[in-house]
Amino acid sequence: MKLLTHNMLTSHVRGVRPGAGFPLRIQATEVKVNNVDFNQEFVARMIPKVEWGALVEAAESLGHLSDLPPQLPPEYESNEDFLRKVHHVLLEVEVMEGVLKCPDSGREFPITKGIPNMLLSEEET
Amino acid sequence: MVAGVEEAPGCAGHPVRYFCTAGRGLEPFLLREVQARLGATQVEYVSGKVFFTTNSELSKLKKLKSGERLFLLLKKHPPISLSRNKGKVFHEIQKLVIEEPRCWLDIVSIWKHLHGNKVIQGNISKENPKSLKRKSEEEISISTKKQKRKQILETVSDECQVEEHKNCVVPETNNNMDLWTESKTFLEETPESRTEKSVESNNHSFNFRVSCRCSGAIAKVFTSQLFVHLNDIYSVVGIPVFRLPLANREYIQTAGLRSTIAWAMASLAEISAGSFVLDPMCGLGTILLEAAKEWLNVHYLGADISDSQLQGSHENIKAAGLMDKIGLLKASVIALPLPSESVDVVISDIPFGKKFKIRKDMKLLPDILREMERVLRVGGTVVLLMSQDLHKHMGGCISRCVENDTSLNANSDSKNGAAVVKDLNPKEKNGSPRSISSSIKGVETEPFNQKITCFGSLVAVESYGVSLGKTDAFIYKYRKIPAAGKQ
Repeated sequence: MKLLTHNMLTSHVRGVRPGAGFPLRIQATEVKVNNVDFNQEFVARMIPKVEWGALVEAAESLGHLSDLPPQLPPEYESNEDFLRKVHHVLLEVEVMEGVLKCPDSGREFPITKGIPNMLLSEEET
Repeated sequence: MVAGVEEAPGCAGHPVRYFCTAGRGLEPFLLREVQARLGATQVEYVSGKVFFTTNSELSKLKKLKSGERLFLLLKKHPPISLSRNKGKVFHEIQKLVIEEPRCWLDIVSIWKHLHGNKVIQGNISKENPKSLKRKSEEEISISTKKQKRKQILETVSDECQVEEHKNCVVPETNNNMDLWTESKTFLEETPESRTEKSVESNNHSFNFRVSCRCSGAIAKVFTSQLFVHLNDIYSVVGIPVFRLPLANREYIQTAGLRSTIAWAMASLAEISAGSFVLDPMCGLGTILLEAAKEWLNVHYLGADISDSQLQGSHENIKAAGLMDKIGLLKASVIALPLPSESVDVVISDIPFGKKFKIRKDMKLLPDILREMERVLRVGGTVVLLMSQDLHKHMGGCISRCVENDTSLNANSDSKNGAAVVKDLNPKEKNGSPRSISSSIKGVETEPFNQKITCFGSLVAVESYGVSLGKTDAFIYKYRKIPAAGKQ
């Protein structure tokens, strides 16, 4: 599970207040770092769609903060240095095994072979 | 529609005329695609084939996504006249194929040019057709798989009366000798022959197809094959440009949905750079693969409840080299772990009705739609593939909601363009909900009087009936509009 995907996920357990299920806390037991071709345009376009605070928090929890600033710098589109750091965090860091934890209910969603299992049981939906 | 078309590179020499077969229902997509991708001119669609002219290079031709097989056009004539005299019909067919050797030579040199002169060496001798050797006919099949054969057969019009395969033989030999040989045609009943619509004649005639497979060493002798197609509208002779159908994608390891249909769906979805695209029932990931290959700079996410499907998806994505473009998660389409209005495009093949009992899955349909609609942002699109039965139920769901949303018709200046609501029955006075989905040609939809919770803001834009081979299905496109009272 890459951090770009993680940034889109939220807990949907019943009873969780809207917004309280995001972001899911990552407890990783296995993290992989891949080499991914840098595509400046792609990264620049993804940034507006990403919840920046959650991304920074997630990167930090995996030990891959990579000097990401807590706030988005202005005019980042042309800042290649910055975009490369974002690229690394969004696409090159991958959680292979671990758990995603709902910040509200504490419910844990396992990650196996890079794929998070977000299925809920009958009672939880 | 097609992403990143460059006109300048990829064009070679003078324009060449081709024709391309298409699965039923995909012709409009192919028509659009040859124009957008290849800058094709003189584009015409006749009964299952799209004819066009372009000067594109092979690599660009290979990128056609909505066609089945691509052929160099040799001849296109009016239909062969029926005659009781079988001999006369034979003679006409022979004439169609053999006549004008110059035309053959031209086509072969075009074929060589396209393929970069890799295959054939030496000169082609100009032979008078009469002096050409005649051998007993063998149909050379490039592929030995029966399935591929069926694909070719399936794309042939049902009106075909007689189909033969002749061979264009330009063998690769070590002594660089080129022979231009001609095979004699004969009609023979083989185990694979089958009867078709009968010829309108007083003979006790029956129709059958010559089918003669060739595999192993002898198959490698031949460079290509000839395709002759006769029907009521035309007589066409062509040479396939590629060994395998276009629909066989190199980058797809395990096919799920037919690649041409998957691509066609993605082409409707208005995917643009920076989009977030979700397939909440991704199966083996075919739709996402087709989309990711064409529309770059997009974030794709596939979800499925089945481990084995996800595993298959994962392997497909890996084999295609798209690991960095497509994410996967295990989730249920009726309970998506995504915030509301976070997705730009939802695209999916709804499996119900094909394998599963309709009734049981029908109950889930409103929940599925509701979830899809929830995660979709306003102005976003949903493109779905479903069976006709499923569609009827859809019609009920959607039309009921639109009827309740009176702001729809007044919403002509919404930012994302008013949804094109084609209503063929504007004068329904009996009080039943206007069936928006009646925009589908030839499909009767009746109001579905079941109590369904309104999820209110999905509006039908367009739809296409397509063939999946054994069954028919429909591609539907919806757009999410602002809900009533919410501006």
